[in-house]
Amino acid sequence: MRLLLILGAVLMLVGATWALVGAPTEALQGLPQRIMYIHVPSVITAYTALLVVFAGSVLYLWRREARWDRLAHSAAELAVLFISMTLLTGAIWGKPVWGTWWTWDARLTTTLILWFIYVGYLIVRAWAPGARGARAAAVIGIIGVLDIPLIHWSAILLRTLHPQPTIFRPEGPALPASMIPPLAINNVAFLITFVALLILRVRQERTLGTLIDALEGQ
Amino acid sequence: MKATLLLVVKDLRLEWRTREMITTAGLLAFLLVIVLGATRSDPETAPAAMWVTFTFGATLGFTRTLALERDHLTALLLAPIDRGAIFLAKALANWLLLAVVQVMSIPVFGALFTERVWIHLPALALPLVLGGIGLAATGTLFAGLIVQTRLREALLPILMLPVTLPVLIAAVSATAGILDGQSLSAIGAQLKLLGAFDILFITASWMLFEVVLEE
Repeated sequence: MRLLLILGAVLMLVGATWALVGAPTEALQGLPQRIMYIHVPSVITAYTALLVVFAGSVLYLWRREARWDRLAHSAAELAVLFISMTLLTGAIWGKPVWGTWWTWDARLTTTLILWFIYVGYLIVRAWAPGARGARAAAVIGIIGVLDIPLIHWSAILLRTLHPQPTIFRPEGPALPASMIPPLAINNVAFLITFVALLILRVRQERTLGTLIDALEGQ
Repeated sequence: MKATLLLVVKDLRLEWRTREMITTAGLLAFLLVIVLGATRSDPETAPAAMWVTFTFGATLGFTRTLALERDHLTALLLAPIDRGAIFLAKALANWLLLAVVQVMSIPVFGALFTERVWIHLPALALPLVLGGIGLAATGTLFAGLIVQTRLREALLPILMLPVTLPVLIAAVSATAGILDGQSLSAIGAQLKLLGAFDILFITASWMLFEVVLEE
Protein backbone atom coordinates (compact mmCIF):
# COMPACT_ATOMS: atom_id res chain seq x y z
CA MET A 1 0.00 0.00 0.00
CA ARG A 2 2.78 2.42 0.98
CA LEU A 3 4.65 1.46 -2.18
CA LEU A 4 1.57 2.22 -4.28
CA LEU A 5 1.12 5.57 -2.58
CA ILE A 6 4.74 6.53 -3.33
CA LEU A 7 4.45 5.26 -6.90
CA GLY A 8 1.25 7.26 -7.37
CA ALA A 9 2.85 10.43 -5.98
CA VAL A 10 5.95 10.07 -8.16
CA LEU A 11 3.89 9.45 -11.29
CA MET A 12 1.69 12.42 -10.46
CA LEU A 13 4.79 14.62 -10.20
CA VAL A 14 6.09 13.36 -13.55
CA GLY A 15 2.65 13.75 -15.14
CA ALA A 16 2.12 17.25 -13.74
CA THR A 17 5.55 18.45 -14.86
CA TRP A 18 5.07 16.99 -18.33
CA ALA A 19 1.60 18.52 -18.53
CA LEU A 20 2.84 21.96 -17.49
CA VAL A 21 6.17 22.09 -19.30
CA GLY A 22 6.36 19.37 -21.96
CA ALA A 23 2.87 19.32 -23.44
CA PRO A 24 1.97 21.83 -26.18
CA THR A 25 -0.30 24.78 -25.49
CA GLU A 26 -3.69 24.32 -27.09
CA ALA A 27 -4.22 26.83 -29.92
CA LEU A 28 -7.74 28.04 -29.10
CA GLN A 29 -8.05 27.64 -25.36
CA GLY A 30 -4.49 28.50 -24.38
CA LEU A 31 -3.12 27.67 -20.94
CA PRO A 32 -6.42 26.87 -19.16
CA GLN A 33 -6.65 23.75 -21.32
CA ARG A 34 -3.84 22.21 -19.24
CA ILE A 35 -6.36 21.59 -16.48
CA MET A 36 -7.47 18.66 -18.64
CA TYR A 37 -4.52 16.70 -17.24
CA ILE A 38 -6.21 16.55 -13.83
CA HIS A 39 -9.84 16.92 -14.89
CA VAL A 40 -9.96 13.82 -17.08
CA PRO A 41 -8.06 11.53 -14.65
CA SER A 42 -10.36 12.73 -11.83
CA VAL A 43 -13.50 11.82 -13.69
CA ILE A 44 -12.13 8.45 -14.83
CA THR A 45 -11.12 7.64 -11.25
CA ALA A 46 -14.50 8.83 -9.94
CA TYR A 47 -16.45 6.54 -12.24
CA THR A 48 -14.06 3.65 -11.45
CA ALA A 49 -14.82 4.26 -7.76
CA LEU A 50 -18.57 4.15 -8.49
CA LEU A 51 -18.16 0.78 -10.18
CA VAL A 52 -16.25 -0.48 -7.12
CA VAL A 53 -19.11 0.74 -4.89
CA PHE A 54 -21.56 -1.10 -7.14
CA ALA A 55 -19.53 -4.32 -7.13
CA GLY A 56 -18.97 -4.13 -3.35
CA SER A 57 -22.69 -3.51 -2.74
CA VAL A 58 -23.80 -6.42 -4.92
CA LEU A 59 -21.26 -8.78 -3.33
CA TYR A 60 -22.26 -7.65 0.16
CA LEU A 61 -25.97 -8.26 -0.41
CA TRP A 62 -25.20 -11.61 -1.98
CA ARG A 63 -22.53 -12.95 0.36
CA ARG A 64 -23.21 -10.90 3.52
CA GLU A 65 -19.52 -10.62 4.34
CA ALA A 66 -18.49 -7.44 6.11
CA ARG A 67 -15.38 -7.04 3.94
CA TRP A 68 -17.47 -6.27 0.81
CA ASP A 69 -19.33 -3.63 2.76
CA ARG A 70 -16.03 -2.08 3.88
CA LEU A 71 -14.89 -2.03 0.26
CA ALA A 72 -18.09 -0.32 -0.92
CA HIS A 73 -18.04 2.21 1.92
CA SER A 74 -14.39 3.16 1.37
CA ALA A 75 -14.87 3.42 -2.39
CA ALA A 76 -17.94 5.64 -1.89
CA GLU A 77 -15.91 8.12 0.18
CA LEU A 78 -13.28 8.24 -2.57
CA ALA A 79 -15.98 8.53 -5.23
CA VAL A 80 -17.33 11.66 -3.53
CA LEU A 81 -13.77 13.01 -3.29
CA PHE A 82 -12.98 12.46 -6.97
CA ILE A 83 -16.40 13.66 -8.15
CA SER A 84 -15.83 16.86 -6.14
CA MET A 85 -12.42 17.27 -7.82
CA THR A 86 -13.99 16.71 -11.23
CA LEU A 87 -16.67 19.34 -10.59
CA LEU A 88 -14.20 21.88 -9.20
CA THR A 89 -11.56 21.49 -11.92
CA GLY A 90 -14.33 21.50 -14.52
CA ALA A 91 -15.73 24.77 -13.19
CA ILE A 92 -12.25 26.36 -13.14
CA TRP A 93 -11.70 25.19 -16.72
CA GLY A 94 -15.15 26.28 -17.85
CA LYS A 95 -14.89 29.86 -16.61
CA PRO A 96 -12.12 31.07 -18.99
CA VAL A 97 -13.05 28.81 -21.90
CA TRP A 98 -16.88 28.78 -21.96
CA GLY A 99 -17.20 32.03 -20.01
CA THR A 100 -19.23 30.34 -17.29
CA TRP A 101 -18.56 28.27 -14.17
CA TRP A 102 -21.50 26.03 -14.79
CA THR A 103 -23.82 24.95 -17.56
CA TRP A 104 -26.70 22.43 -17.61
CA ASP A 105 -24.90 20.11 -19.95
CA ALA A 106 -25.59 16.36 -19.86
CA ARG A 107 -22.21 15.31 -18.46
CA LEU A 108 -22.04 18.11 -15.90
CA THR A 109 -25.56 17.49 -14.69
CA THR A 110 -25.00 13.73 -14.43
CA THR A 111 -21.80 14.19 -12.43
CA LEU A 112 -23.37 16.73 -10.08
CA ILE A 113 -26.41 14.53 -9.42
CA LEU A 114 -24.11 11.56 -8.74
CA TRP A 115 -22.34 13.73 -6.17
CA PHE A 116 -25.69 14.23 -4.40
CA ILE A 117 -26.58 10.53 -4.55
CA TYR A 118 -23.27 9.42 -3.02
CA VAL A 119 -23.26 12.17 -0.40
CA GLY A 120 -26.68 10.74 0.51
CA TYR A 121 -25.02 7.32 0.69
CA LEU A 122 -22.46 8.64 3.19
CA ILE A 123 -25.18 10.38 5.24
CA VAL A 124 -27.12 7.12 5.52
CA ARG A 125 -23.91 5.40 6.67
CA ALA A 126 -23.33 8.10 9.27
CA TRP A 127 -26.87 8.02 10.65
CA ALA A 128 -27.55 4.31 10.47
CA PRO A 129 -24.58 2.39 11.81
CA GLY A 130 -24.19 -1.37 11.76
CA ALA A 131 -25.69 -3.97 9.45
CA ARG A 132 -28.89 -1.99 8.89
CA GLY A 133 -26.97 0.99 7.54
CA ALA A 134 -24.77 -1.31 5.49
CA ARG A 135 -27.79 -2.86 3.79
CA ALA A 136 -29.43 0.52 3.16
CA ALA A 137 -26.19 1.87 1.74
CA ALA A 138 -25.74 -1.17 -0.50
CA VAL A 139 -29.19 -0.58 -2.00
CA ILE A 140 -28.28 3.06 -2.70
CA GLY A 141 -24.94 1.99 -4.17
CA ILE A 142 -26.76 -0.26 -6.64
CA ILE A 143 -29.56 2.20 -7.45
CA GLY A 144 -27.03 4.99 -8.00
CA VAL A 145 -25.21 3.15 -10.77
CA LEU A 146 -28.46 1.94 -12.37
CA ASP A 147 -29.57 5.57 -12.47
CA ILE A 148 -26.48 6.85 -14.37
CA PRO A 149 -27.76 6.12 -17.91
CA LEU A 150 -31.19 7.57 -17.09
CA ILE A 151 -29.76 10.77 -15.62
CA HIS A 152 -27.50 11.14 -18.64
CA TRP A 153 -30.36 10.48 -21.04
CA SER A 154 -32.61 13.00 -19.29
CA ALA A 155 -29.90 15.66 -19.28
CA ILE A 156 -29.36 15.16 -23.04
CA LEU A 157 -33.02 16.06 -23.44
CA LEU A 158 -32.03 19.46 -22.11
CA ARG A 159 -28.94 20.55 -24.04
CA THR A 160 -25.25 19.83 -24.42
CA LEU A 161 -22.15 22.02 -24.53
CA HIS A 162 -19.47 19.74 -23.13
CA PRO A 163 -17.03 18.40 -25.76
CA GLN A 164 -17.71 14.88 -27.01
CA PRO A 165 -15.21 12.16 -26.06
CA THR A 166 -11.87 12.82 -27.74
CA ILE A 167 -9.92 9.69 -26.76
CA PHE A 168 -12.17 6.68 -26.28
CA ARG A 169 -14.11 6.73 -29.51
CA PRO A 170 -14.50 4.32 -32.40
CA GLU A 171 -12.47 6.40 -34.89
CA GLY A 172 -9.42 6.53 -32.62
CA PRO A 173 -8.14 9.39 -30.44
CA ALA A 174 -8.68 12.95 -31.70
CA LEU A 175 -6.28 14.40 -29.16
CA PRO A 176 -2.83 15.41 -30.53
CA ALA A 177 -0.29 12.65 -29.90
CA SER A 178 1.90 14.99 -27.85
CA MET A 179 -0.89 15.47 -25.29
CA ILE A 180 -1.51 11.79 -24.72
CA PRO A 181 1.60 10.71 -22.68
CA PRO A 182 1.13 13.22 -19.81
CA LEU A 183 -2.61 12.50 -19.76
CA ALA A 184 -1.99 8.75 -19.68
CA ILE A 185 0.64 9.12 -16.91
CA ASN A 186 -1.76 11.20 -14.83
CA ASN A 187 -4.56 8.70 -15.41
CA VAL A 188 -2.39 5.87 -14.15
CA ALA A 189 -1.14 8.00 -11.25
CA PHE A 190 -4.70 8.89 -10.16
CA LEU A 191 -5.87 5.29 -10.40
CA ILE A 192 -2.86 4.01 -8.41
CA THR A 193 -3.46 6.66 -5.75
CA PHE A 194 -7.12 5.66 -5.67
CA VAL A 195 -6.22 2.00 -5.12
CA ALA A 196 -3.72 2.93 -2.40
CA LEU A 197 -6.24 5.15 -0.57
CA LEU A 198 -8.90 2.47 -0.99
CA ILE A 199 -6.66 -0.15 0.64
CA LEU A 200 -5.84 2.29 3.42
CA ARG A 201 -9.50 3.05 4.15
CA VAL A 202 -10.54 -0.62 3.99
CA ARG A 203 -7.79 -1.48 6.51
CA GLN A 204 -8.88 1.34 8.82
CA GLU A 205 -12.49 0.16 8.66
CA ARG A 206 -11.38 -3.40 9.37
CA THR A 207 -9.43 -2.26 12.44
CA LEU A 208 -12.45 -0.26 13.57
CA GLY A 209 -14.66 -3.31 13.12
CA THR A 210 -12.29 -5.46 15.16
CA LEU A 211 -12.20 -2.83 17.91
CA ILE A 212 -15.99 -2.59 18.05
CA ASP A 213 -16.29 -6.38 18.17
CA ALA A 214 -13.73 -6.54 20.96
CA LEU A 215 -15.53 -3.86 22.99
CA GLU A 216 -18.93 -5.47 22.51
CA GLY A 217 -17.50 -8.86 23.41
CA GLN A 218 -16.63 -7.69 26.90
CA MET B 1 -51.13 -10.79 -6.25
CA LYS B 2 -54.03 -11.39 -3.89
CA ALA B 3 -51.82 -10.42 -0.96
CA THR B 4 -50.84 -7.21 -2.72
CA LEU B 5 -54.47 -6.25 -3.25
CA LEU B 6 -55.33 -7.09 0.37
CA LEU B 7 -52.54 -4.84 1.60
CA VAL B 8 -53.57 -1.99 -0.69
CA VAL B 9 -57.16 -2.26 0.50
CA LYS B 10 -55.96 -2.28 4.11
CA ASP B 11 -53.85 0.86 3.59
CA LEU B 12 -56.62 2.65 1.74
CA ARG B 13 -59.17 1.75 4.43
CA LEU B 14 -56.79 3.03 7.10
CA GLU B 15 -56.34 6.22 5.12
CA TRP B 16 -60.06 6.57 4.55
CA ARG B 17 -60.74 6.38 8.28
CA THR B 18 -58.06 8.82 9.39
CA ARG B 19 -57.62 10.88 6.20
CA GLU B 20 -54.24 11.84 7.68
CA MET B 21 -52.09 11.75 4.55
CA ILE B 22 -54.55 13.10 2.07
CA THR B 23 -55.30 16.05 4.35
CA THR B 24 -51.67 16.98 4.96
CA ALA B 25 -50.31 16.18 1.49
CA GLY B 26 -53.33 17.68 -0.26
CA LEU B 27 -53.25 20.86 1.82
CA LEU B 28 -49.50 21.23 1.28
CA ALA B 29 -49.95 20.81 -2.47
CA PHE B 30 -52.75 23.39 -2.53
CA LEU B 31 -50.62 25.76 -0.46
CA LEU B 32 -47.64 25.28 -2.80
CA VAL B 33 -49.72 26.10 -5.88
CA ILE B 34 -50.84 29.30 -4.17
CA VAL B 35 -47.33 30.24 -2.97
CA LEU B 36 -45.71 29.49 -6.35
CA GLY B 37 -48.56 31.18 -8.20
CA ALA B 38 -48.35 34.28 -6.03
CA THR B 39 -44.74 34.85 -7.12
CA ARG B 40 -45.28 34.10 -10.78
CA SER B 41 -48.15 32.44 -12.56
CA ASP B 42 -48.05 32.14 -16.33
CA PRO B 43 -48.09 29.26 -18.83
CA GLU B 44 -44.27 29.26 -18.92
CA THR B 45 -43.79 28.39 -15.27
CA ALA B 46 -46.80 26.06 -14.98
CA PRO B 47 -45.02 22.74 -15.78
CA ALA B 48 -42.16 23.31 -13.31
CA ALA B 49 -44.54 24.56 -10.61
CA MET B 50 -46.72 21.49 -11.12
CA TRP B 51 -43.88 19.04 -10.58
CA VAL B 52 -42.43 20.91 -7.61
CA THR B 53 -45.88 20.67 -6.05
CA PHE B 54 -46.28 16.95 -6.80
CA THR B 55 -42.78 16.13 -5.56
CA PHE B 56 -43.24 17.98 -2.28
CA GLY B 57 -46.64 16.41 -1.71
CA ALA B 58 -45.18 13.00 -2.56
CA THR B 59 -42.18 13.19 -0.21
CA LEU B 60 -44.45 14.31 2.63
CA GLY B 61 -46.88 11.44 2.08
CA PHE B 62 -44.27 8.77 1.30
CA THR B 63 -42.38 9.09 4.61
CA ARG B 64 -45.50 7.62 6.21
CA THR B 65 -45.58 4.60 3.90
CA LEU B 66 -44.10 2.17 6.38
CA ALA B 67 -44.11 4.42 9.41
CA LEU B 68 -47.87 4.05 9.53
CA GLU B 69 -47.41 0.39 10.33
CA ARG B 70 -45.85 1.52 13.61
CA ASP B 71 -45.71 -1.46 15.93
CA HIS B 72 -47.34 -3.65 13.32
CA LEU B 73 -44.31 -3.64 11.04
CA THR B 74 -43.12 -6.86 12.66
CA ALA B 75 -46.55 -8.41 12.15
CA LEU B 76 -46.49 -7.40 8.49
CA LEU B 77 -43.04 -8.94 8.10
CA LEU B 78 -44.10 -12.14 9.86
CA ALA B 79 -47.05 -12.57 7.53
CA PRO B 80 -46.41 -15.26 4.91
CA ILE B 81 -46.19 -12.72 2.09
CA ASP B 82 -43.44 -12.16 -0.43
CA ARG B 83 -41.51 -8.92 0.22
CA GLY B 84 -41.97 -7.99 -3.42
CA ALA B 85 -45.74 -8.10 -2.87
CA ILE B 86 -45.37 -5.72 0.08
CA PHE B 87 -43.40 -3.35 -2.13
CA LEU B 88 -46.02 -3.46 -4.89
CA ALA B 89 -48.82 -2.84 -2.38
CA LYS B 90 -47.07 0.10 -0.75
CA ALA B 91 -46.04 1.60 -4.10
CA LEU B 92 -49.59 1.26 -5.43
CA ALA B 93 -51.06 2.90 -2.32
CA ASN B 94 -48.50 5.71 -2.60
CA TRP B 95 -49.22 6.20 -6.27
CA LEU B 96 -52.98 6.41 -5.57
CA LEU B 97 -52.28 9.02 -2.91
CA LEU B 98 -50.14 11.02 -5.31
CA ALA B 99 -52.78 10.68 -8.05
CA VAL B 100 -55.41 12.12 -5.71
CA VAL B 101 -53.08 15.04 -4.96
CA GLN B 102 -52.54 15.54 -8.71
CA VAL B 103 -56.26 15.43 -9.48
CA MET B 104 -56.95 17.88 -6.66
CA SER B 105 -54.31 20.40 -7.69
CA ILE B 106 -54.72 20.34 -11.48
CA PRO B 107 -57.89 22.50 -11.39
CA VAL B 108 -56.04 25.06 -9.28
CA PHE B 109 -53.27 25.17 -11.89
CA GLY B 110 -55.94 25.60 -14.55
CA ALA B 111 -57.45 28.49 -12.65
CA LEU B 112 -54.25 30.25 -11.61
CA PHE B 113 -51.58 29.44 -14.22
CA THR B 114 -53.00 28.63 -17.60
CA GLU B 115 -56.31 27.75 -19.20
CA ARG B 116 -54.51 25.39 -21.55
CA VAL B 117 -54.62 22.76 -18.80
CA TRP B 118 -58.33 22.26 -19.59
CA ILE B 119 -57.85 21.93 -23.36
CA HIS B 120 -55.06 19.37 -23.10
CA LEU B 121 -56.39 17.43 -20.10
CA PRO B 122 -56.45 13.94 -21.74
CA ALA B 123 -52.87 14.20 -23.07
CA LEU B 124 -51.69 15.68 -19.79
CA ALA B 125 -52.74 12.50 -18.01
CA LEU B 126 -49.88 10.65 -19.71
CA PRO B 127 -46.89 12.41 -18.07
CA LEU B 128 -48.87 12.75 -14.82
CA VAL B 129 -49.41 8.99 -14.62
CA LEU B 130 -45.97 7.90 -15.88
CA GLY B 131 -44.12 10.45 -13.73
CA GLY B 132 -46.32 9.66 -10.74
CA ILE B 133 -45.48 5.96 -11.00
CA GLY B 134 -41.75 6.75 -11.10
CA LEU B 135 -42.00 8.98 -8.02
CA ALA B 136 -44.08 6.38 -6.17
CA ALA B 137 -41.68 3.51 -6.98
CA THR B 138 -38.50 5.32 -5.87
CA GLY B 139 -40.28 6.97 -2.94
CA THR B 140 -41.52 3.64 -1.64
CA LEU B 141 -38.11 2.01 -1.97
CA PHE B 142 -36.34 4.80 -0.08
CA ALA B 143 -39.12 5.10 2.51
CA GLY B 144 -38.61 1.41 3.26
CA LEU B 145 -34.87 1.89 3.36
CA ILE B 146 -34.93 4.62 5.99
CA VAL B 147 -37.93 3.64 8.08
CA GLN B 148 -35.67 2.33 10.82
CA THR B 149 -33.06 5.09 10.69
CA ARG B 150 -33.00 8.33 12.61
CA LEU B 151 -34.14 11.53 10.91
CA ARG B 152 -36.14 9.67 8.27
CA GLU B 153 -38.27 12.68 7.38
CA ALA B 154 -35.13 14.63 6.45
CA LEU B 155 -33.47 11.73 4.67
CA LEU B 156 -36.23 10.86 2.21
CA PRO B 157 -36.02 14.00 0.03
CA ILE B 158 -32.21 13.98 0.21
CA LEU B 159 -32.09 10.45 -1.19
CA MET B 160 -35.12 10.59 -3.44
CA LEU B 161 -34.67 13.89 -5.30
CA PRO B 162 -31.33 13.19 -7.03
CA VAL B 163 -32.39 9.70 -8.06
CA THR B 164 -35.72 10.92 -9.45
CA LEU B 165 -34.16 13.80 -11.39
CA PRO B 166 -34.66 12.00 -14.75
CA VAL B 167 -38.38 11.67 -13.96
CA LEU B 168 -38.67 15.34 -13.10
CA ILE B 169 -36.76 16.56 -16.16
CA ALA B 170 -38.70 14.32 -18.54
CA ALA B 171 -42.05 15.00 -16.89
CA VAL B 172 -41.61 18.79 -16.82
CA SER B 173 -40.43 18.74 -20.43
CA ALA B 174 -43.36 16.54 -21.54
CA THR B 175 -45.87 18.65 -19.61
CA ALA B 176 -44.49 21.82 -21.19
CA GLY B 177 -44.72 20.26 -24.65
CA ILE B 178 -48.35 19.23 -24.12
CA LEU B 179 -49.36 22.64 -22.76
CA ASP B 180 -47.71 24.17 -25.84
CA GLY B 181 -50.06 22.11 -27.95
CA GLN B 182 -47.42 19.77 -29.37
CA SER B 183 -48.46 16.33 -30.57
CA LEU B 184 -47.67 13.25 -28.51
CA SER B 185 -45.04 12.10 -31.03
CA ALA B 186 -43.12 15.35 -30.46
CA ILE B 187 -42.63 14.42 -26.80
CA GLY B 188 -42.09 10.73 -27.52
CA ALA B 189 -38.51 10.78 -26.17
CA GLN B 190 -39.68 12.17 -22.81
CA LEU B 191 -42.48 9.62 -22.49
CA LYS B 192 -40.08 6.81 -23.40
CA LEU B 193 -37.66 7.96 -20.71
CA LEU B 194 -40.47 8.04 -18.14
CA GLY B 195 -41.53 4.55 -19.16
CA ALA B 196 -37.98 3.22 -19.00
CA PHE B 197 -37.47 4.76 -15.55
CA ASP B 198 -40.72 3.24 -14.26
CA ILE B 199 -39.88 -0.23 -15.54
CA LEU B 200 -36.29 -0.16 -14.25
CA PHE B 201 -37.19 1.14 -10.81
CA ILE B 202 -40.23 -1.04 -10.26
CA THR B 203 -38.14 -4.11 -11.16
CA ALA B 204 -35.09 -3.10 -9.12
CA SER B 205 -37.15 -2.10 -6.07
CA TRP B 206 -39.25 -5.23 -6.26
CA MET B 207 -36.05 -7.30 -6.19
CA LEU B 208 -34.31 -5.23 -3.52
CA PHE B 209 -37.23 -4.94 -1.10
CA GLU B 210 -36.34 -8.33 0.40
CA VAL B 211 -33.11 -6.72 1.64
CA VAL B 212 -34.75 -3.43 2.56
CA LEU B 213 -37.21 -4.94 5.01
CA GLU B 214 -34.79 -7.31 6.70
CA GLU B 215 -34.64 -7.06 10.48
